[in-house]
Amino acid sequence: MTTSQTSTTAKPWDAPDAVPFMQIKNITKKFGSVVAVENVSLDVYKGEIFCLLGGSGCGKSTLLRMLSGFEVPTSGQIIIDGEDQAGVAPYDRQTNMMFQSYALFPHMTVEKNIAYGLKRDGLPKKEIATRVTDILSLVQMDGFATRKPHQLSGGQRQRVALARSLVKKPKLLMLDEPLGALDKKLREETQFELIKIQESLGVTFVVVTHDQEEAMTLSSRIGVMNKGEIVQVGTPHEIYEFPRNRFVADFIGSVNLFEGRIKEDGENHVVIASPEAGTDIYVPYAVSGVEGQQIAIAVRPEKMEISKADLGDMRNRTTGTVDEIAYMGNVSVYHVLLDSGKRVRVSQSNRTRSNEDAPTYGDRVNLGWAGRAGVVVTA
Amino acid sequence: MGQQSRFLKIVALLGFVFLYAPIVSLVIFSFNESKLVTVWGGFSTKWYAELFRDPQILEAAWVSIKIALISATLAIVIGTVGSFVLIRFKKFRTKGLLSMMITAPLVMPEVIIGLSLLLLFVAMQGLIGWPGGRGMLTIIIAHSTFGAAYAAVVIQSRLVDMDLSIEEAAQDLGARPVRVFFGVTLPVMAPALLSGWLLVFTLSLDDLVIASFVSGPGASTLPMVVFSKVRLGVSPDVNALATIIIGIVSLGIIAAALEISRSKKHGAER
Repeated sequence: MTTSQTSTTAKPWDAPDAVPFMQIKNITKKFGSVVAVENVSLDVYKGEIFCLLGGSGCGKSTLLRMLSGFEVPTSGQIIIDGEDQAGVAPYDRQTNMMFQSYALFPHMTVEKNIAYGLKRDGLPKKEIATRVTDILSLVQMDGFATRKPHQLSGGQRQRVALARSLVKKPKLLMLDEPLGALDKKLREETQFELIKIQESLGVTFVVVTHDQEEAMTLSSRIGVMNKGEIVQVGTPHEIYEFPRNRFVADFIGSVNLFEGRIKEDGENHVVIASPEAGTDIYVPYAVSGVEGQQIAIAVRPEKMEISKADLGDMRNRTTGTVDEIAYMGNVSVYHVLLDSGKRVRVSQSNRTRSNEDAPTYGDRVNLGWAGRAGVVVTA
Repeated sequence: MGQQSRFLKIVALLGFVFLYAPIVSLVIFSFNESKLVTVWGGFSTKWYAELFRDPQILEAAWVSIKIALISATLAIVIGTVGSFVLIRFKKFRTKGLLSMMITAPLVMPEVIIGLSLLLLFVAMQGLIGWPGGRGMLTIIIAHSTFGAAYAAVVIQSRLVDMDLSIEEAAQDLGARPVRVFFGVTLPVMAPALLSGWLLVFTLSLDDLVIASFVSGPGASTLPMVVFSKVRLGVSPDVNALATIIIGIVSLGIIAAALEISRSKKHGAER
């Protein structure tokens, strides 16, 4: 699998001799007969922001709680910076956690909240004071030291919680839905700030989120979870462009999945017969599979063209009727009903302020996509 | 609209009159010069002076306060432990039963509680020789048992609302469980503990029935003394005593209301 990402950041996960900072080995957690986490193995490298992404009940929070010591794995091993964490109590771990509810101590001032962990380490008063001041200015909360949590806004509380979890300079910081309680605008601003803070401190982050946008912006790599298992690990680009199976393709972003069977299995191409798509789909690369095998092809809405005119230059073409149009400002999303009855989403960016040729409700339209636009998913 | 709001005002007024007219008349008559309770004979504070010269009442008041202080404190300890078991422990088989049993004294008739405790104390004295006779100790035991039920209800409601992650955060930051409990859990629960304590204190101060059952010679509580005095005819010094108690209770209620409105403001954006 190749990625065309132009980023220059090092990718320790691709280096053969890199030593993972945190290793999860075959972790399973059962609550009675319910399996919350099943045989998860994962390597996270120093300085990463690793996101565990999944819907509610997928086991991501349980995994995080095992890392912080609040849950004991049924089987498996967790190694952080070379140390096996088995039997190490939460208060003895050199990791910290930022809670979804922020969990600020309501009876303590901001200052005391942040100093709490440092006091437990028995640091001298003077050092505690400097470190509290430093971290407060890092999260841009200087001047709020003597406030109580109830006197702060949601965004400010989020910063205090972040400061409190970072002030002990943990080896690993776990963040449970760190931006979940903020409104959209604030969330977008905070995302980038979080990355900046992480880069300046060099602390390894493990983030749990159900928000794929958040995961895409924050993370160096994403682990997509479903039903207690990690279904795919990769950079945001890999996860989005090369989903390994139907679940990942469907979960991240929106996607059109065309079910079909391999009709022609060439050396450097395959043709998939898909009655659903109303056409044979041509894929210009080899796929491991046999003729007649059930297979699906995933095409993202933005990788499809829609036009009332002929799309003769597109490798794959089909036709349908515009059923709905969602105008979102920057893009318009068309819901097109194919002749097979399949609904397809196509998005077009609105490059001009008005386009008279744009299809409208009930129009017969041609849809097309390039051979490389789709990705074959077998599982 | 004007019509309706006037109707509501009248109803509300009648309600308050119904509730407070007896108390107001009691307070007024405590300043009555006359010895006859129902005849106004001019303003005087002599019954207050009389009250403070009555050794029986002073003694009983002191006994009652001692009992209330100790029982309230014991009840809070028992209630806290019980609440923790019920709210924090994972499901266990007898949890439902235990939860029902801890709240049962709330609805149990006082006569039954009093009688059963009396039988228990008598049986225990026969079997193990403790508690030796009935008196302050047995009243304290009785009051802290039924008080614990009230305390548990108050504390449980607070514990249910409490965000568990606050304690986990403290642990995560390096605090051992005991320190978490005293440094984080207890302070967060403090308002509930305080209001539970005040509730049990009042109930204990107030109780006549149970105390009458389990009390013995030399341990008469204030309600018991008042009751026996009243049986021989209401004397105005009882009015004076009631006025003092009302004054103290009002102060307590005002303080509690202020504290609650303050902590509500705190808790609102949790």
